[in-house]
Amino acid sequence: MSSSRDDFSIAFRSALLQRGAAQKFSLISLIIVASIIFFLDVFGFNFMKPIRSIINDGIYRISLVASSPSRFIPHATGGVTNLFNVKKENERLKKELEIYKQKELNVEFLSNQNKNLKKILESEESFLKKENIVLSKVLIDKSSPYLKSVIINRGSKSGILKGMPVLDKEFLIGRIVETNYLSSRVLLLSDLNSRIPVTFGDEGTQAILKGNGDAKPILEYLPEGYNVEEGLDVFTSGKDGIFLPGSPIGKTNEKGEVVLYSESSQLSFVKVDLTKKNKEVF
Amino acid sequence: MIGNSLRTTINFGPIILLYYLSISEIDSHFENYFEILSFNIQLIIIYFWSLKRPTALGNGHVFFAGLINDVVMGLPLGLSAITYLTVSFVATYVKNMTVNTTIATDWFTFFIALLISNALFIILVSNFSEIKIDISSISYNTFFTLIFFPFFWFLFSAYNSILTIGKNV
Repeated sequence: MSSSRDDFSIAFRSALLQRGAAQKFSLISLIIVASIIFFLDVFGFNFMKPIRSIINDGIYRISLVASSPSRFIPHATGGVTNLFNVKKENERLKKELEIYKQKELNVEFLSNQNKNLKKILESEESFLKKENIVLSKVLIDKSSPYLKSVIINRGSKSGILKGMPVLDKEFLIGRIVETNYLSSRVLLLSDLNSRIPVTFGDEGTQAILKGNGDAKPILEYLPEGYNVEEGLDVFTSGKDGIFLPGSPIGKTNEKGEVVLYSESSQLSFVKVDLTKKNKEVF
Repeated sequence: MIGNSLRTTINFGPIILLYYLSISEIDSHFENYFEILSFNIQLIIIYFWSLKRPTALGNGHVFFAGLINDVVMGLPLGLSAITYLTVSFVATYVKNMTVNTTIATDWFTFFIALLISNALFIILVSNFSEIKIDISSISYNTFFTLIFFPFFWFLFSAYNSILTIGKNV
């Protein structure tokens, strides 16, 4: 019994402390260093911010170079992905076509909706009045099971601040959550951490669009007993003072989810709206 | 001369693969085909090579690959490094405690390593970070990582046998 306990402790200590010809560092020392780095980063010490910013910019550029083979060899990733997506894409397009057919037949509904949206657009901070936009290239869009985000090639040098809205064409896709000097991280609407105040429908119903980790974020904090109709256009309400009102986001479905206009896996260039200079506190 | 450089390159294979997977856009998250399908190849690489041939994958490389992965994935710096080193620790411990291992024993001990590292990941993220993470995503990721382990075990074993050629093991 005691010998097995001895074996256990010897193996345990050996695993933690052993250094050989190829192991220049012991595991325990590296675990301690990693833990120190983790806590310094998490508790946001000021001196860590520029260090992290420099590391981020450097690694994002290296990552871009390292990812170039997979971009240029279509059979490696993109081609195969596209091949598998063709059927899905076809089904999606058929559904979209069906929606557009329904739209034609529902002119009255749309005119009511337009009246409502015009009220929003007439507000001082109209979506249409914005001029200050930075076009950025998506550097990295590594899919993660945990976080839905992309890296863009513009940072604080271009005037980008945390919290700024990011658009694909005219559709809202997310917001800036991390800025470095030459790059930024965009948190997509589908991420679990994303919350956006939105408005939709004839009556300008207010809700919060919450990311759920899937492609279709859900509407929360709806009026009591409210049943979401299918096919309603969802726009930002601008209630948070961060997003401009009237940016289109997607369409509702019968489950209370929002089918986004912009597919996050297909992003190559995005626009960052610099109109709102107020810095969001995270 | 060419033979030597080729052998050196082959010897660095696991390290190159680990760094490349950490830094490049190539991912093992296949939500387009099957929504919940994702697995962590890095953990399999670290576990296998720490167990079978520790000289092929130094602890320092595991640490740096973890840091790089954190930057690319947008996680708090050091988080992946801690989980990777935990997996490496379990593998080293198992290596110290056992003489002959089979795929079944490796699979079982990998499961323990996965449980410990993912538990650590969840504890650190939920208690010290503002990032919200879906536990079910982590569970699916753990499950599929475990399921795919035997496939990579055979693949890496074949590679390991290439490394062993001409050496006294």
